[in-house]
Amino acid sequence: MLKLTKEEKRMLDGKNGIFKQKAMQKIVEYANALGAEALCTVTKATVYMGNHPYLDVIESDDYNEIFSKMVLCEKGEQIYPLEQFSDECFTQTCVGPCDHFRYQEINISKEVFEKNRKFLDLIHDAGVSIAGSCTPYLSGWIPLRGEHFVSTESSNILFGNSVYGACANADGLEASAWSAICGRTPLWGNHILSNRYATHIVEIQCKSETAKDWDIIGHALGRLLTEGNERPVLTGNFCRPDINRLKKFFSSLATTSGCELCHIVGCTAEAPTLEAALAGHEPKGKIVLTQEEYDRSLASICDEGSGDVQMVVLGCPHYTLEEIRDAARLLEGKQVAEGVSLQIWTDLTMQYLAQVNGYAQTIEASGAHLLNSACPLVCGRTAYDLVKTGFLTDGAKQAHYVHTDLNEKNCKVFYGDMKSCIEASIKGRWEA
Amino acid sequence: MKQIRLKGRPAFPGKATGEAIVCPHSIQGWAGVSEQTGCIIEKGHPEIGKCIKGKILVIPYGKGSTGWSGHFHSAAVAGFSPAGWLFSHIDSRCGVAAAALEIPAVADFPDDVDLFSLIKTGDLVEIDGSTGEVTITSRCES
Repeated sequence: MLKLTKEEKRMLDGKNGIFKQKAMQKIVEYANALGAEALCTVTKATVYMGNHPYLDVIESDDYNEIFSKMVLCEKGEQIYPLEQFSDECFTQTCVGPCDHFRYQEINISKEVFEKNRKFLDLIHDAGVSIAGSCTPYLSGWIPLRGEHFVSTESSNILFGNSVYGACANADGLEASAWSAICGRTPLWGNHILSNRYATHIVEIQCKSETAKDWDIIGHALGRLLTEGNERPVLTGNFCRPDINRLKKFFSSLATTSGCELCHIVGCTAEAPTLEAALAGHEPKGKIVLTQEEYDRSLASICDEGSGDVQMVVLGCPHYTLEEIRDAARLLEGKQVAEGVSLQIWTDLTMQYLAQVNGYAQTIEASGAHLLNSACPLVCGRTAYDLVKTGFLTDGAKQAHYVHTDLNEKNCKVFYGDMKSCIEASIKGRWEA
Repeated sequence: MKQIRLKGRPAFPGKATGEAIVCPHSIQGWAGVSEQTGCIIEKGHPEIGKCIKGKILVIPYGKGSTGWSGHFHSAAVAGFSPAGWLFSHIDSRCGVAAAALEIPAVADFPDDVDLFSLIKTGDLVEIDGSTGEVTITSRCES
């Protein structure tokens, strides 16, 4: 039975206005669905705001109407005009459906671009900071150990839970916004410290040296987590990951599974040792991640053979400054082949730093584009129309999700590391 | 026809009846359900091509993008809402979906109840999200 504080009851009764009342109603419904007994205060949020394709089911230009139906899930005709989000919670935007400044380079219409900026202006007026990032930790959005946060980016939930020991569940597009408005989320799941122990021991036997390796490991581990609500702990003689490897690992892990928290012995906050990660609990199972499983995942996201490519996407998740520097070094003095769109995605802060350091200029001089705030997967709509026969990416998440659509259009999907992707962009062709 | 009665935890109130689509390995949200047709489009999914409209989805957990609920919600707004949910053991993705779609849901069945062997795709399922009662009428030969 859910118990609310006086303040929460006041909000539910509408004392803070109908906007916060509706958000609190939805959080109460969410809490009841989970079987939660109380709510907790959320202090950091990322929200999926902008003119995303999933909103197209509402044929309206009125953002209040769209927000009411798609975010607040109003089933009747009631409109909830945007009001201020929670003062207690710092909220910024997650990845969006267009670069913040450019649209032609990524085959997005001016209409979509302008509508996106209009929606972002409105949400900014409601107290949400514009960040357009799937890697908010790169620009200082960092929930600390034990801090309750919500996020619409699945890899960010894994990152915050695992690396920092902060607390979040996978709340989805709607509930993250409800929380950011009313400042509460159900005290349930990963928000309860005693629930966070590891449930499955994972022994890494496959190769684990590179960012690509960790991308594939995440994809493979997600496939092997078949019982739901699992919290694996990685052991074995793996190479210690850095931030570039970890963000890829979390991104692909959250693609093939619903995993929200993954301990890594000697690396993440609550796993100084295997015993600490298990916290006195018997593991429910053991998973051995073999080279065979690694190869199976790689084969599932990278089509066989060679072929021409028209669109190459790097930066899933958004590139760090280090990755942008490495890409710039590989592109220095080179030219991307005619007919190839090489897109390198990052957030606004990294893009600015890339400009300060000259990396952005090097990338643009090669014919590639350093882009911010989005990625083709989130852009959707016309973004992949650039692909005629072949698409290439260094993100297992991208490769996984676009496979069905592009294969149906008789286009091949290839996957490789940054270096091989850039080499293919220069040749205009992926060589197996 | 064989009938089975089960009881889980009431997760979202209301009554619903529909044919089951049983997904022991869930359904991917992103690139898993078409918001334009309501059909399952996940590559390699055993129920690929089936429309979720009016069905009772039997699911163990959410899978993939945090936007899991959003894809089902968009499909629902477009006119392709399932009639109800059975979640063997609820997680946050499923909890949000229950609250976003506002359709009856029953969750958290006892450990010795295996929804995925008791219910087959095509069985008629009646659920009461206010009491947690579930009735399954088998339509499949077994």
